[in-house]
Amino acid sequence: MILTPGTVCRLVLLVIFTVVIQVSGIESIPLLGGTIDLIPLVVGAVALWGGSIAGAAVGFSCGLLLDFIVGQDVGASSLVLTGVGYFVGRYGEVNEPANALLPIPVGAATTAAYLIGTTIVSLMLSFDASLSILAFRDMFLTIFLNTLVALPVFALVRKIIRPVLTRDPLDRRRKRAAPIESGPIGLRGLGL
Amino acid sequence: MYDKKVVRRRRAVLGVLVAVSLGLLTVYFGENGGGILHSFQNGTSAVFSPLEKGVSIVFKPVSNFTHWTGDVFHAKKENKQLKQQVQQLQTELAQSQTAERDAAELRSLVGLPRTSNFAAGDKLVTARVISRSPTVWYSNVVINAGSGSGVHIDDPVIAAGGLAGKVTSLTGGEAIVTLITDESSAVSAEVMPDGSNGIVRPEVGNPNDMLLDYVDKGANIHKGDSVVTSGFTSSKLDSLFPRGIPIGKVTKVSPSEVEQYQRVHMRPYADLRRMNYVQVLTGNAQDQRAQVVK
Repeated sequence: MILTPGTVCRLVLLVIFTVVIQVSGIESIPLLGGTIDLIPLVVGAVALWGGSIAGAAVGFSCGLLLDFIVGQDVGASSLVLTGVGYFVGRYGEVNEPANALLPIPVGAATTAAYLIGTTIVSLMLSFDASLSILAFRDMFLTIFLNTLVALPVFALVRKIIRPVLTRDPLDRRRKRAAPIESGPIGLRGLGL
Repeated sequence: MYDKKVVRRRRAVLGVLVAVSLGLLTVYFGENGGGILHSFQNGTSAVFSPLEKGVSIVFKPVSNFTHWTGDVFHAKKENKQLKQQVQQLQTELAQSQTAERDAAELRSLVGLPRTSNFAAGDKLVTARVISRSPTVWYSNVVINAGSGSGVHIDDPVIAAGGLAGKVTSLTGGEAIVTLITDESSAVSAEVMPDGSNGIVRPEVGNPNDMLLDYVDKGANIHKGDSVVTSGFTSSKLDSLFPRGIPIGKVTKVSPSEVEQYQRVHMRPYADLRRMNYVQVLTGNAQDQRAQVVK
């Protein structure tokens, strides 16, 4: 990702927009008894397209803003989302995946990692917390709903950050191979 | 890809961000409610409040539609349940009316003044929930009424059905409400009709289950009994919640052979995860604090 003031501005707006839309909009729309959680999807998308550093930074910012706005334990969400963003980014850097359907498993894995991480941190911070069936049901529904909306969310994030990307894995896939030259063997490559 | 400088920078960024997160957590848990992070949290909340209100209004039609769709699917089942409930309530109403008449007679006999549960100066401020946490682990919501609407810290908050929590943080236009399912919550309560007293505490991570603790082993409590705020008073400190606000319904009673008290499980009446409107009972907590200072 090319780091310019424009890039920072773009990412800051994306973070604010995501967190505010999530806590004040999406969270009040129940679907099948659960709700979509945009935050891990956006962090996962930025990390996959932008790399581990961008993923970790956006994860940290989203988590911190979420903790501040909703009045949660400051630092808890940012800790989890930093890790999630970093490791999704590393996966993208190492494998350079070019499959257009990749956002589906990555979205599901990112959401699962975020929810499990949040659960572990909450259990560690609360004195007498316990895991209930409701928590499991919520987790499952959120992962399911996030998997359904992963493709459009990843596509939207890619569209927003594409101008500042140093490499775009999907573009590589779409590049057509050079035409095969034909003609007598001795004359190939001479442009005749 | 394996440039040492890049690897070092990548790891440094991760290390710094994780260290900052852990540092913030440590400071947040170490400071009191007026500390720098808590104050900054209030400030951030106030800055984003107009944006949150705007987004909340924009999404309201979609939210209403999904709620309406869900309601239609549940209407048939709910209708059956409500019919049974109406029958039960009619019986209870008849009993209550009889009891009230008896009480009025007895009151007039001993010359006690008739008072409602709420203090004379109390006022209900209706507010909309504008933000809530996306996970089951956190039990805070942000409402669009603050000190400008007459809301104070520690004011009780009531949702449709029963007690929701209390105001723990405040700005001019909004307030953070800590729900009764938060681990810091403890509400003095009594079980109706038995009248046994106890403390309602949450089961963190399960907002549908709460514990009524410190109930005498001999208390005659059954599944389905109502739990209401007891609004206790003492010479030093009064309860923040006035008497008689419904909290929940008893779901399970587990008497322990070893312990002196029995543990009563209950389900809150208010749907704390899906509530959209709440009412803040203003005036009560302030008066009580004033009494304590005196």
